[in-house]
Amino acid sequence: MTNLDLVLGDVRRGMIPAHIYNDEEIFRLERERLFSRAWLFVGHDSEIPQAGDYVVRRVLDDSFILSRGEDGQVRALFNMCLHRGMQVCRAEMGNASHFRCPYHGWSYRNDGRIVGLPFHKDAYGGEAGFKRKGQTLLPAPSLDTYNGLIFLSMDPDAPPLREYLGDFTFYLDYYTRQSASGIELRGPQRWRVKANWKIGAENFAGDMYHTPQTHTSVVEIGLFREPKAEKRKDGNTYWAGNGGGTTYKLPPGTLEEKLRYVGYPDVMIEKMKQQWSDDQLNVIGRDGFMISAASAFPNMSMVHNWPRVEDSDDVLPFISLRTWQPVGPDETEVLSWFAVDAEAPEEFKALSYKAYLMCFGSTGMFEQDDVENWVSLTSTASGAMARRLLLNSRMGLLEDGTEVVPPLTRDEYAGPGEAHVGYGEYNQRHLLNRWADVLEKPVDKVSQVEVSGVAAERTEERA
Amino acid sequence: MSLDAATTGPKAEQDKAGAKPTGNGGPYSAQSRLGGHAPRTERTGRALPFDDPRHLQAHHWMVEEAYILDAQNYSDWLDLLTEDIHYIMPVRVTTALTAGYDSAPHMAHFDENKYSLSRRVARFLTEHAWTEDPPSRLRHHISNVRTFATPNPEELIVDTAVLLYRSRGDVREASVISAGREDLLRKVGDGWQLARRTILVDDSVLRTQNLAIFL
Repeated sequence: MTNLDLVLGDVRRGMIPAHIYNDEEIFRLERERLFSRAWLFVGHDSEIPQAGDYVVRRVLDDSFILSRGEDGQVRALFNMCLHRGMQVCRAEMGNASHFRCPYHGWSYRNDGRIVGLPFHKDAYGGEAGFKRKGQTLLPAPSLDTYNGLIFLSMDPDAPPLREYLGDFTFYLDYYTRQSASGIELRGPQRWRVKANWKIGAENFAGDMYHTPQTHTSVVEIGLFREPKAEKRKDGNTYWAGNGGGTTYKLPPGTLEEKLRYVGYPDVMIEKMKQQWSDDQLNVIGRDGFMISAASAFPNMSMVHNWPRVEDSDDVLPFISLRTWQPVGPDETEVLSWFAVDAEAPEEFKALSYKAYLMCFGSTGMFEQDDVENWVSLTSTASGAMARRLLLNSRMGLLEDGTEVVPPLTRDEYAGPGEAHVGYGEYNQRHLLNRWADVLEKPVDKVSQVEVSGVAAERTEERA
Repeated sequence: MSLDAATTGPKAEQDKAGAKPTGNGGPYSAQSRLGGHAPRTERTGRALPFDDPRHLQAHHWMVEEAYILDAQNYSDWLDLLTEDIHYIMPVRVTTALTAGYDSAPHMAHFDENKYSLSRRVARFLTEHAWTEDPPSRLRHHISNVRTFATPNPEELIVDTAVLLYRSRGDVREASVISAGREDLLRKVGDGWQLARRTILVDDSVLRTQNLAIFL
């Protein structure tokens, strides 16, 4: 039996009970208290650009149709027929004006409204027996977007998405708003790994320390231009609002030179200069930091890197977004998308896609070695010995809590939040502290929806 | 319809509007934004008789390649590939019967040329590709081999089925990847080289930790 107070207390002082990476009880709590409330990334506007376009995405065990109605609005519809509960959409993507249940033929418009109910009059006596009017597939409790990124929350009282993300939106813009048109999202590649979902989220949030070891091979083969992965310690890790990430330190030069250094063509640089705030530009131009991997709590991550994709000294940047979709305490489905600025030149889009495939995703040469570690860690965390072991996640802190290096000042770093140069586990602690805060709070009862219900005779409140 | 009269292959089936091609391959290589360099040779006619010397050579080639991939002798494998190879493994998606497509638009697992494949191989040859150290035990089971002539006497199209069994460690559940392949073989000197491969994986969501293997 896990003592939750003890576990959360340990996590908050930077000591991680190793079993939290593979524990049925912890996973049940995450399901009940975390994934029932947090904003979760499920897709992007550009995946469903036309009226009728849809993709189907899951949040744990729940399937939602992200559908663009004839009115142009995007909705997330719970993929369950109001009659007998059959999935009304069994494809993963497509274009449809209606979803028709194959079981009894109830059909719904792509905005969720019911339009077809066979034998409504004969079987139900019409509206007097079943109120067809106003019935819709159950919408996701909350839906919101930022830069076209679609998030849903299972909590009907979720705060607005912007409020939830907080200052992390400053950093999200680098990945998803390089021009006024924002990104095109392609994919996702989907695969299941026998690893706990938190490990990837923590790694992308702040683990610069693993790069020189885990990713030695990609440096050796010249995929990475920098001769030594140790350069990572010159970058910083930042945490702002509900997310944080890592950066690389760029060689001296103007803003334009720095953006060219990572492979952006001038036509894209001009758009970034129009699109980003002075502070956003200063992080790169004045302070010399370039965003790399990041995570938004709880399970969305992103990465920006600039490998060599051809036999030359040139590098090409790519962006990838992903979710670590929990399947169980020891299994995660990775959904990994390639993202590229919609206004980028076609040749850039093609080579950036190539850069993505070489580095991340199901075949990515960085990713391959990461997952091997995480699978191994998860497997080891299941036993009795892992319950005796508290892992030290205090990198960057002395025993008395003082920081090994002070945070960057506003003069040194124009970005919001708190940033430290060098190796540290600040962000892993931020992420797990939020996790602890959420796991501690019991959830409110959720209301049920009756499909054309009749008054209940009992008066007691439903559980 | 007698089997002898049956049309086979994507090209032959294009005449029948809406019909799914019988066989592997498809529009994936031609539609890829990274496939501009790829040879566009297509199959002609029906599969060659199994005693045709061209079929026997193609079958032999496929079996030899499978052993090389099992052994992870990737330098040898690179030598089997032409300089203009396009090696593509689309991301398969579940779509309605009438959707007209079955892969994620403009997204693949592999979408490789000779350079990117050579980087992947070079990585496995370092001492720091942890994901395959210790190495997986691999078995590429190749079956359903059939060979087609093309307009070019120096090129053949080969359909195969491949089942890869990949076992890592001692008690971890092994992963299995099932796929159909369409290959373009080109005569180079006395032997054949692979000039194009389309891998139609049979899963939408892969059940393997990564694709640090080749199919």
